Amino acid sequence: MGEIKPTGGKLSRRVVVAGIGAAGVGLVVPLLAGCQATPTPSQVPAAPESKLAPPTASTAASTSEPAKPAAQPASAPSELPATTPTQAPTQPTATTSAQATPRPVVKVAGAADLVIVRGTNPADITRAAVEALGGMAAFIAKGSTIVVKPNICTDMAPEYAATTNPEVVATLIKMCKEAGAAKVKVLDYGWGSQQTNYKGSGIEDAVVAAGGEMVKISPVKWKMTKIPNGKLVKATEIYDDILTADAIINVPIAKQHNLTQLTLGMKNLMGTIHYREGFHGDIGQSVSDLSLVVRPTLTVLDAVRILTRNGPGGGYLEDVKRLDTVVASADVVAVDAYATSFFGMKPEDLQTIRAGQANGLGTADLSKLKVAEVKRG
Amino acid sequence: MSAGATRIWPLRRPRLGLRWARRSAQVSALLLFFYLAVVAVVPLPSALPVDLFFRIDPLLALAASLAGRAVVPTLVWAVPVAVSAVVLGRAFCGWLCPLGTTLDLARWLHILPNSQPERRQNHPRLRPLRQVLLGLLLLGALFGVLLLAALDPITLYLRAITTAFLPGLNRGLTAALVTLFQAGVAPDAVARLDELLRPAIIPTQQISYRFGILFFSLFLGVIALDAIAPRFWCRYICPLGALLGLGARLAPLRLRVAPTCDRCGHCLASCKMAAIAPKSLHADPADCVECFDCVAECPRQAISVAFVAPMGLAESRYSPSRRRFLVGAGLGIAGVAVLRTDATSVGADEYLIRPPGARADFVQRCVRCSECVKVCPTGALQPSGLEGGWEALWSPVLTPRIGQCDYACNACGRVCPTGAIQPLSLADKRQTVIGTAYIDESRCIPWADQKPCIVCEEMCPVPRKAIVLDAIQVTDKQGVSLTVKRPRVERERCIGCGICETRCPLPRQSAIRVYAPAASPRERDASS
Repeated sequence: MGEIKPTGGKLSRRVVVAGIGAAGVGLVVPLLAGCQATPTPSQVPAAPESKLAPPTASTAASTSEPAKPAAQPASAPSELPATTPTQAPTQPTATTSAQATPRPVVKVAGAADLVIVRGTNPADITRAAVEALGGMAAFIAKGSTIVVKPNICTDMAPEYAATTNPEVVATLIKMCKEAGAAKVKVLDYGWGSQQTNYKGSGIEDAVVAAGGEMVKISPVKWKMTKIPNGKLVKATEIYDDILTADAIINVPIAKQHNLTQLTLGMKNLMGTIHYREGFHGDIGQSVSDLSLVVRPTLTVLDAVRILTRNGPGGGYLEDVKRLDTVVASADVVAVDAYATSFFGMKPEDLQTIRAGQANGLGTADLSKLKVAEVKRG
Repeated sequence: MSAGATRIWPLRRPRLGLRWARRSAQVSALLLFFYLAVVAVVPLPSALPVDLFFRIDPLLALAASLAGRAVVPTLVWAVPVAVSAVVLGRAFCGWLCPLGTTLDLARWLHILPNSQPERRQNHPRLRPLRQVLLGLLLLGALFGVLLLAALDPITLYLRAITTAFLPGLNRGLTAALVTLFQAGVAPDAVARLDELLRPAIIPTQQISYRFGILFFSLFLGVIALDAIAPRFWCRYICPLGALLGLGARLAPLRLRVAPTCDRCGHCLASCKMAAIAPKSLHADPADCVECFDCVAECPRQAISVAFVAPMGLAESRYSPSRRRFLVGAGLGIAGVAVLRTDATSVGADEYLIRPPGARADFVQRCVRCSECVKVCPTGALQPSGLEGGWEALWSPVLTPRIGQCDYACNACGRVCPTGAIQPLSLADKRQTVIGTAYIDESRCIPWADQKPCIVCEEMCPVPRKAIVLDAIQVTDKQGVSLTVKRPRVERERCIGCGICETRCPLPRQSAIRVYAPAASPRERDASS
């Protein structure tokens, strides 16, 4: 600290440093001004209009784009052109009108449209269900990036049936890996602490053991996404990993829900958006609108245990019913429609299903589908 | 003091070893302090207590023990520093104190226009200030008021880090990363960088804190005071330095000046604390921070460090008269009385919710270190305003509209250095009632608007939900009969975590609010 020096050259350096320091403080203080706590609620309503160029439906529907033809090997309309009830009128292209068209449900020749598998081993019935639909390779391409989306809304153990069964999730990851997926990510933006939920639900450990990767939600990676055909929700912020995934495998758990009556496949996709507060008006319509851009390639509903009351949070073992079942289809509406029967309800009882069908997401009329029921040991 | 002109280069073979040892210790301690501040997040590291610097602070241990009328459990950690004062003098100030090091760094970087030898003068009239503050702090503590613990340098520093530095860094970095990511500038690299930063260095959530600007300004003010004199804070204000300085008068470690001294004045110019008396060249142990700059700077190597026996009370420039002492004590007592007569201390605020595990005499133990505020993952714990009166200013208060007391977290009790918040097992914490929720039926959506909303019930984390939904048949404004599910609080199950208040979708004030538990009989007595 050589203070005893001539000041001539020194002074200018000091002035420069002080100037930089002052500028730094000038920059920092406005930032810090935001650090003052305000009594306003932490919720921010979803912005109704995107300020950004929409990555949008074209991104979500990228699995159908010519650049990645292998992502859906079985989706070529030539294979089952006439018998596909949910077939969209036109093959999606890069044009705006095609973006607005729901992506067609994947059909596998000779395989069932909807499978219900019963058996005491969750891993076994999950595997059997996907095989009955034509196998994982029919849905995902080699080298692709897959997002598996379970319900990890809280931190309770699987026995409470508040979160998806870890064995079901792990089996799907293994099957994706076997089918040649390069990367299998697992994410859910639930309430409470994400770390705690990932851990407490048992899903993180199962996923890591199966070779998957838990996505820690970052505040940086939300993208305002337009929903061109949305009837109620026109735009919302969706997590980037969902938008850029080659395929989404939706793994809900069947639960009673005090607001939507049930939470099944479509409702599970709420965990991909940033501001769910905006959804609580007509939640059924909102959720089916979201499903237009967050289209699961495959939905595997976990009904190993279902929550019959006090959902979605649960917490009471006496509300849990063991069904030892999974329901799977490429058509999320069909899965949801079938799952209503677990709760003694009909598909038309659920606003989500009505809105989903009206949005062209799939069919709730199970008589139009090839349904396979499988019993395992 | 014509020091600069008489530097005799050939004679100068400075003994730099001690100085470099000291600088290494300073930088290491400062880095450790920042490291512990950054890692004070859930899940807590198990290797080191994140509140280490508070535990080793003898001033906080002493004040909290006086105010709480009990020896605080972490007092034992403070013993080494207290002993060091009696043996080595104010070595803590010169070698370890993060604030002292920051001041040295600021001076070294020439952030402020100081460092001229002529500005290194003593300000004799200010010398007693730190002792007066120390006296007031300890006197207040004796009467159960720990407000002045906010002047402890470690608490002052961490409060600024907690409420301003790290949130500011978080905001700045997040804004930059979001801008880059949304603009599509190397999104993969941005995402990767974000993964590295979060949650290792900055938290995932952006949390805002009350008084952030104030604590930031106080910290800047302490730095700015260095423009008047080097280490102005340490010389004249710091109550921890004052306490260590009291012990230092017993310390056998002394600086000795050999007869080879030619009174060149280098030592005087090099002393950042102005501890050396110009005539006698006696270094006042109450001021000397054992930086050994004088040893290194002495051209004739005339200054040596030695343990001197027999030990005895060293001469110090500060010795208050009895009258001054008594007047000061009287003013301190009057100050406590005035604090207690303020209207804010009569009947605590109904929303004054303390962290789970907070002792009944919480305010008499809390040293305002802000470690619990730092660690709280949801931002629920905030420095209080006047909710608990002036004497509880800046103590942590649960603010549900900002965040809830996370059902899966018990971190605040685990980082509290004085045990003001008792460490609770997660199982115990989950059953600790910190408040009770009440629904405002005139605003709640299903009650007032007959529209569905179950957010509070959905969020309620206790095993038997404390919020239940009653299906009620009602007739709406159009005369149509419909069923609404109305939330109701089962009070005996509610623990007051406040997540219902956090998540209530109503704008501004929530329709469900957590109220503080009823005042204890002692509190009621105090306020009647």
